Amino acid sequence: MVTTAAPETGGRRVRSIPATMVRNLTESAATSPGRLTLIMVGLFLLTVVTSVVGVTTVLSRQNTIDDLINHQEPLSAASQQIYRSLSDADATASSAFLAGGVEPADLRSRYEADIAQAGAALAKAAGDVGGVEGAAQQVNQLSQALPVYTGLVETARANNRQGFPTGGAYLREASTLMRSELLPAAQELFRIDIERLNEGEDDATAIPWFLTGFTALLLAALIASQIYLTKRTNRLLNVGLLVATIAVGVGVIWGALAMVVGSAHISSANRDGSQQVDVLVQARIVALQCRANETLTLVARGDGPQYETDYQKLIPGLVAKDGGPGTLLAKAKDLAADNAQTSSSVNAAIDSASKWHNAHLEIRKTDDEGDYQAAVKAATGTEPTSAAQLFAKLDSSLDDAIMSGRKAFVERADEAGKTLTGLGPGLAVLGLVALAGVTMGIRRRLQEYR
Amino acid sequence: MRRMRKLFGALAAALALAGCSSSLQPVDPAPAGAVQQPQPAGVGGGEPSDTASTSSCDPNAISLRPSGSLPAPGQFPAGSRLKKIHDRGYLRAGIDQNTYLFGFRNLTTNQMEGFDIDRVREIAKAIFGDPDKVQFKVITSKEREAALAGDEVDVVARTYSVTCARAKIVDFSAVYYTAGQRVLVDRRSKATSLDDLAGKKVCAASGSTSIKKLTGYPSKPVPVSVPTYADCLIMLQQGQVDAVSTDDTILAGMVKQDPNLKMVGKQITEEPYGIGIKKGDDNFVRFVNGVLQQSISSGAWQASYNKWLRGTGEEQPVPTLRYRD
Repeated sequence: MVTTAAPETGGRRVRSIPATMVRNLTESAATSPGRLTLIMVGLFLLTVVTSVVGVTTVLSRQNTIDDLINHQEPLSAASQQIYRSLSDADATASSAFLAGGVEPADLRSRYEADIAQAGAALAKAAGDVGGVEGAAQQVNQLSQALPVYTGLVETARANNRQGFPTGGAYLREASTLMRSELLPAAQELFRIDIERLNEGEDDATAIPWFLTGFTALLLAALIASQIYLTKRTNRLLNVGLLVATIAVGVGVIWGALAMVVGSAHISSANRDGSQQVDVLVQARIVALQCRANETLTLVARGDGPQYETDYQKLIPGLVAKDGGPGTLLAKAKDLAADNAQTSSSVNAAIDSASKWHNAHLEIRKTDDEGDYQAAVKAATGTEPTSAAQLFAKLDSSLDDAIMSGRKAFVERADEAGKTLTGLGPGLAVLGLVALAGVTMGIRRRLQEYR
Repeated sequence: MRRMRKLFGALAAALALAGCSSSLQPVDPAPAGAVQQPQPAGVGGGEPSDTASTSSCDPNAISLRPSGSLPAPGQFPAGSRLKKIHDRGYLRAGIDQNTYLFGFRNLTTNQMEGFDIDRVREIAKAIFGDPDKVQFKVITSKEREAALAGDEVDVVARTYSVTCARAKIVDFSAVYYTAGQRVLVDRRSKATSLDDLAGKKVCAASGSTSIKKLTGYPSKPVPVSVPTYADCLIMLQQGQVDAVSTDDTILAGMVKQDPNLKMVGKQITEEPYGIGIKKGDDNFVRFVNGVLQQSISSGAWQASYNKWLRGTGEEQPVPTLRYRD
């Protein structure tokens, strides 16, 4: 298009520069040396572009994997930590209320640790919302409501210490805020962060189509040039071009192998790591909800049939008598099949969960039969058979399993990163070798025309 | 050159002008939006009065006279409700754990206490010889009738006003205390009665006689209903409502918890408290009345009154139980 620009104003004498270039090119392409020069320039440019694309693809993939390890995975861990800490804080505050006017020191310090942990994890999540609108919104809501929640709990505490029943009402208000705003926001944040993690994993295993296209083009061009040269000259082989082709071939095989193996590692990081953790976190969320319902039933003292209904609705999703295949813990167990450490933690969790559920049934029976004090004791006591202790065991087993899942993720993802070691510089060197080959191979032929 | 400089000067001026009017405002780093105050669960609006005609009965003389002296604990005729309760081993009582002075949990001892709780313990003592054989079931004002009808509790002692409409669904004991609806406001408030609270938010418990009274009140306050009265108190403390209006006894319990509040106005209703009993067992009603009668004659009622209620409002004389027979 540009070549015929403004011929009517300038006439034939004043050609535009691109037009001149194209004319010169077409003219020189008609001669053999010209054609050779063209082939050399073409191959040279294609090799440069392909090498650059190759190196940047590898670097960006390494970045993606580093990002998964140092950024996305810790982020999703932080958001699950927010949920756990908040939910545990709420259940602990309720237990402390059941215990009476001055709460036991261990419950108080547990509540304080929960709030501190939630705050720290929230700060981590806030610093890393990464322009994701939904995540920013949840973090904002959490940041606004958390101080209000703690304020209500402290007001409840001040009233409790004076023996005023208003304390119970403040605690209920706090719990309502927790259950209606904070926990749903934390759950949504976790969902978003897991989604981001999965997207990162997809990026790290995607086939680099752009690079594949250029490489195929370069290989085809190299082979075509060699065939052309073999036909034009009587030499069977052009050493320079052959070297270039071999260099590109080595690059292709190395790159493909590294990426295939790396993708396999990422896939296994997904299965043994992030998927496992996702299921375990869901199990933990259900367990925490059930525990909160258990204590709130007692706090409400008869005025809370909906809490027990919620418990009964949720618990079958967590664990079943026959270790039923549909439950979250059974799913976690399946996923942990070839990871001994996770597997043993999950088994411990299943064991604690069913013991806890039995303790819960016993508590409900005791309470329904009229012995409220005994029910409270069984729910919040410090003896190893109390629901509080069994739940704590379940929670710590789940925590172990989650940690071991996270470890599996980091290890596998690191393996994936390692497969790319040296590939970037390697491709650069191979690119330079190919360039040298192309230049030398064709310059030899060109010199024959002098 | 000079022309160029002029041109640049004009351009710079134009740019500066454009900049001033639009983009040079400091950015609001974190817009918080409207602040939403936390609310107790289950906040609602007004509730209309019962349509039943009020002239059909006398709430103060609605119950049945006790028959002779009380039977000894455990000595009850076979098949009677008393026998069933005795065999079960404990009395089930619908109460509140958040109404200071009437029914609340003592956080030091973890025991239920209050004026209403004393009545429940007297009944348990008459049945079992042990005032502690009680299963306390916390119910909201709204749940009282359903809890009795559904046989979840044997008695309800929860600042329960006897009304003719309710008497059609549940049985009541004789009236053991008479309260009246008043208004609780912040100490600095200029309001002296419900008449000064036109358009203001006034809180009462859902399903109570108080919320019904508020809903139709001529000065048109804005009724706000919550599950329990403790929720009203925290909403008043948080400035989410302007006043609480219910029985003076309940309000007195709130003043005890927060001296920054004051009770104003005259009693605008009369709230005769009775113990709610599941409909259909006259002998049980007579038995409960016998327990109340004994409590009054033995001085237990007076002791309980002195412990919880003396000095919180107008002095109440020892009630004279009245019956329809």
